[in-house]
Amino acid sequence: MSSRSQRVNTGINSLVRRLLVKIPGEEPAAVEERESSAVDFVREILESSDSPAVVADVNQASDLIKKRLLQTNPSPEKALRFTNLYSRLLSIPVITQKWAVLYFLYQLSDHQQRTPPILTSPFKSPIKRRRNIEDVIPGSPNYGAKRNDDIPAEAFAPEGLKKLPEREGGQRDRKEEEQAFAKSAATQREGVALKTALLAENYVEIDPPETALLRDLPFTLQGLSSSHLPFSSELTLKLPSTLPVPIISILHTLAEPSLLYRGLASFIQSPGGGLLGQSLRAAIGGELRSYLGLVATLEGQIRRALASLDEREPRGGIGKAGVTLKRCVVWTREATMGLRLMSLISEESKSKKGGQLISLIHGFSSSHGDPMVGAFAERLLVHVTRPFYDMLRQWIYDGELSDPYHEFFVSEQDPNAINDTPDARNRGGASSVWEDKYKLNEDMVPTIITQDFAQKVFLIGKSLNFIRYGCGDSQWVEEYSKAASKELRYGDTATLETWIDEAYKTTMARLIHLMSEKFHLFEHLKALKNYILLGQGDFIALLMESLSSNLDRPAGAQYRHTLTAQLEHAIRGSNAQYDSPEVLRRLDARMLQLSHGDIGWDCFTLEYKIDAPVDVVVTEWGNRQYLKVFNFLWRIKRVEFALASTWRKCMTGSRGVLQGEDENVTKAWKLTRGVLAEMIHFIGQLQYYILFEVIESSWDELQTAIHKEGCTLDDLIKAHTKYLNAITHKGLLGAKKKHHGEVDENTFMVQLGEILRLMLSYRDAVDGLYSWSVSDFTKRQGADVRNDVQNRRDDDDVLINTPATTRRGPRHLPDSTPALGIDDSIVDEFPVLQERLQALGAHFKSRVCLLLGDLAYQPDVDMRFLGVVMNFNDVYQPVRKKSSRPAGREQGRSSARA
Amino acid sequence: MPREIITVQAGQCGNSIGSQFWQQLCQEHGISQDGNLEEFATEGGDRKDVFFYQSDDTRYIPRAILIDLEPRVINSIQTGPYKNIYNPENFFVGKNGVGAANNWGDGYQTGELVHEDIMEMIDREADGSDSLEGFMLLHSIAGGTGSGLGSFLLERLNDRFPKKIIQTYSVFPDTTNSGDVVVHPYNSLLSMRRLTQNADSVVVLDNGALSRIAADRLHVQEPSFQQTNQLVSTVMSASTTTLRYPGYMHNDLVSIIASLIPTPRCHFLMTAYTPFTGDNVEQAKTVRKTTVLDVMRRLLQPKNRMVSTIPGKKSCYISILNVIQGDVDPTDVHKSLLRIRERRLATFIPWGPASIQVALTKKSPYIPMNHRVSGLMLANHTSIATLFKRIVRQYDGMRKRNAFMEGYKKTAPFADNLNEFDEAREVVTDLIAEYEAAEDADYLNPDGPEKAAAGEAGDKRVA
Repeated sequence: MSSRSQRVNTGINSLVRRLLVKIPGEEPAAVEERESSAVDFVREILESSDSPAVVADVNQASDLIKKRLLQTNPSPEKALRFTNLYSRLLSIPVITQKWAVLYFLYQLSDHQQRTPPILTSPFKSPIKRRRNIEDVIPGSPNYGAKRNDDIPAEAFAPEGLKKLPEREGGQRDRKEEEQAFAKSAATQREGVALKTALLAENYVEIDPPETALLRDLPFTLQGLSSSHLPFSSELTLKLPSTLPVPIISILHTLAEPSLLYRGLASFIQSPGGGLLGQSLRAAIGGELRSYLGLVATLEGQIRRALASLDEREPRGGIGKAGVTLKRCVVWTREATMGLRLMSLISEESKSKKGGQLISLIHGFSSSHGDPMVGAFAERLLVHVTRPFYDMLRQWIYDGELSDPYHEFFVSEQDPNAINDTPDARNRGGASSVWEDKYKLNEDMVPTIITQDFAQKVFLIGKSLNFIRYGCGDSQWVEEYSKAASKELRYGDTATLETWIDEAYKTTMARLIHLMSEKFHLFEHLKALKNYILLGQGDFIALLMESLSSNLDRPAGAQYRHTLTAQLEHAIRGSNAQYDSPEVLRRLDARMLQLSHGDIGWDCFTLEYKIDAPVDVVVTEWGNRQYLKVFNFLWRIKRVEFALASTWRKCMTGSRGVLQGEDENVTKAWKLTRGVLAEMIHFIGQLQYYILFEVIESSWDELQTAIHKEGCTLDDLIKAHTKYLNAITHKGLLGAKKKHHGEVDENTFMVQLGEILRLMLSYRDAVDGLYSWSVSDFTKRQGADVRNDVQNRRDDDDVLINTPATTRRGPRHLPDSTPALGIDDSIVDEFPVLQERLQALGAHFKSRVCLLLGDLAYQPDVDMRFLGVVMNFNDVYQPVRKKSSRPAGREQGRSSARA
Repeated sequence: MPREIITVQAGQCGNSIGSQFWQQLCQEHGISQDGNLEEFATEGGDRKDVFFYQSDDTRYIPRAILIDLEPRVINSIQTGPYKNIYNPENFFVGKNGVGAANNWGDGYQTGELVHEDIMEMIDREADGSDSLEGFMLLHSIAGGTGSGLGSFLLERLNDRFPKKIIQTYSVFPDTTNSGDVVVHPYNSLLSMRRLTQNADSVVVLDNGALSRIAADRLHVQEPSFQQTNQLVSTVMSASTTTLRYPGYMHNDLVSIIASLIPTPRCHFLMTAYTPFTGDNVEQAKTVRKTTVLDVMRRLLQPKNRMVSTIPGKKSCYISILNVIQGDVDPTDVHKSLLRIRERRLATFIPWGPASIQVALTKKSPYIPMNHRVSGLMLANHTSIATLFKRIVRQYDGMRKRNAFMEGYKKTAPFADNLNEFDEAREVVTDLIAEYEAAEDADYLNPDGPEKAAAGEAGDKRVA
């Protein structure tokens, strides 16, 4: 014996020993005998197949197959196909035993002709057994593999569950194809028949018989009661109690789709919640129809099978018919899964609507692990989203919200509800069309679009709507809608995104264009800066000068017509006259609500009227901020104006009337001028800071922001708000009351207000000194003349000065005391003035030191900068607020004195 | 109500500067040589009516009065390219046309003779303005007409318009070299008295410094008057930009000089300008990087100052105003100021707050410039006293020898005695003393330390 046969022998022995079951209590001899007979059996099989009657020739095998094919088929197609496949097989280098493969397949095809096996004991005759084994081995695994392949393929197929799992699947690799080619449907049926035959072996007659159940099954699957399987109530199926447990379990499985079907059928009958709900029902209805189609096919199968039944066969012969309850379970499995999913969706949809509904289904399609579920949900989504996309289209191309059931993620707000929100209260209750008319509901945004995307969509529609109603340009919207409108549908997200982006760009560009061209937004912003923020210096100076005498009077004595007349005058007399009339007509001067005792300066305000639709950018809130800044700047300007006019008086006076020789007076004037210069410096730096560091730099930022490519109205609004905030914050107005407790003492506004007031009182004191000096000068001049006359009379030699200087100014007096002594009242006034000036000056200095101390510890760089430039050469010693207790008393004292 | 400024230009130098200045203004405002607006001058934002008024046929006419005792320069203006812009009634040429012979006394006494004609012109101009801000006198103080007649005019203006600002642009003689006028120390000293007593603000332009800058910057050996005059007109136009292009601040003359001059006598301002390049002065073609910091730093350099002074150890700035023109980001100014402070590039007075104040202005859209930023510094610096000291020294030298005194004695102011000289000298020495005192911390309160101490103590307590 060769080593090969020896290996075969040991192999057989171990195989047999492994496979044979040990029967407890059996005698060793009997075991031995069983083993040996089994070994013999195996060997016999092996030997018989060792010597096939044919020569191992590839060509011959292929010839045989071809011949067979030509015999069995009337058309040569199959043979042709085989030749094709065969040549491809030959070219595969991997498969070595090509002949064996072909012969094997040929052998398989042989079985068709044989009679169905009569089931007997497996050990009856070697030949028979061999046949049996040959039957089973190729059939079963092949079949199973095929089933396994079919399920996913079908799940992915777009038409889904409409048809029964059929014989042929899609594409498969070559070997499989050849196998499939070789075996016919009959092989399968044979395999099944074998199984059913095996089953029938131990068949117990059941009541009602399986055939009856099968006959009733289609009705059950359609949710209809039948004689054996009645629906006892809406959601219960009564199963006959006489059935054995396995059948019951099968029927349980089959009952599931029918119950689900009933549920869903009632769901689609229920009144829909909104358009999306209706479309969901429609989509489910469609799915149910295809389910019914499946049931119909099944019914057909059952009918055919029942008709060909051989009553004599065991189990009524259904085993051979190929339609059994189990098979029905298999066939309806996928449909059941679909029904289950739909049922789940229908349950959950009850509490959801609109975008949430889409999100729900999209959740299944995008994140469910089962590809079948995903594909199913995807298919459902196409139908369900249709109304959503219709709404979307209307929204982004027409700017109209057609959403009767509030399902879209944009909703129109109730104007009454708006005012209740805290946000609106911040803006002072004024609702703006742009901000408040529509609202984006984050939770209604379906997950099929991203939040960014939703934001864009929201903006597009809002802008279109705003263009139409706010800007009165519906013509453009209509044209645009005609030109650009496209059918939107679920699926191609990339295209949709480009469309939306396109629409976004067009709409935003149009809106900005309208804002700048039709409504002159940028001009208005500039005008606000020029007039309300005092940018137009010559206009403001003129206005202040012409109003100053008026405004010194009490607020009650201000008349609107004088104000407007002066305003008009200031416009005509300054470069403001070249501004566009559109801007100028919005400019108005008026008094604020006056409180008792105020003088005109405190109440005067300029106003720039902004109307719709520009008021979406310059809101009510913004207007108030502008006014606040104006009032602050106006106060500073006023102080500057006052100081400058006093300075001018003193300066030009020093060429004449102020040329005194009294040392005390000269000294007082020098000190006064020193303080005046300090104040002028302070005001100069403060103005420089506010105007250039704050307003101009914020303005630059605003300009870059609003002239950026692709700027939206929202960006505009945001940039403008930021601009105003920067101005109000940095311009010291917004410096919050940070210091706990000492509220009033510490805000910069209060401090600055105090300093400005001090300056004004100082100005008044200086004016007092000036008047005193002038009257003193006149007195002295009078005395001079008298002296002159006297001198001339007394002593002609003592001529003091040349005529040129006499004309010009005061002359040197030998002794000023007699001149001053002439009028005591003037002398008395001087020390009072001097003391007052000194006190005010000292108070001012200490105040400035305090302010500088606070500024030095500001977190804001620009505000610290103000402190630095005000104290550029370190003459002040900035004071920290914490240690200012005694200072406060000191100030109190000095201000009391003041 | 444009806060008009009337320009009075007296003498050869004053008129040369003036004609340059008007030419510059016309170019900046887009006014053509016949006084009409150029086609391209459509951009608004400038105020022409501060320096011009519009005639009935809408031509722009300078508010200028041109006075000279000899006809040469005026003639050249009247035949020059811009001859048509001036009001022909505003020319005054001395009747005999011999000039003032570089004699202050001659100019002054001629002033007495012709003042009625001149004052009438001034009155007419003043009446033609809604809200006259003040006067600008352009002259040199070395010669005869500008100094003598100019001094006379200052006195008359002071009396006639006691509440109007009087500013002068005064060209001081080159005190380092002897110029073409031998008697310039006399003339200067005598004019200095009027500048001190009768003007509110004097922009000092030192011929020596001007020639030096022209030579250094423009690389020419002997700069012509034309070239130095162009420097002056550039400075003048730059210092008036805030008036002509109204912005937030410094829209009138008062607000500019109020921030510069704390005490009335210290009103002599020095200037610096940078960069001088091609467009301003043809010969300078050096193009350099001009950032705000560069400009502000260069403005502080003595070599860019248009006054030759010898700063002492205690010399300091009383105030600075930088007029920055061009494309400026405020944050650059911010950084530059901090940098200058950090490096201590400028010393300030110890007795009051002082800093570099900055005015950012537009520049004319009609004149292309090849630098981004240009700057003018107007500064009140105590070292200007050294210039006056030199004048006094030179005067003393000549006075001791009684040199060239005959010419003066022949004129009216000195007919009786030479007291005028002595008084002028006293005024100038007082002025020098005032500037020196301003370098001390107790300037405002020199002999009242107890009061100052009390004030200090008060401050300390607050601290």
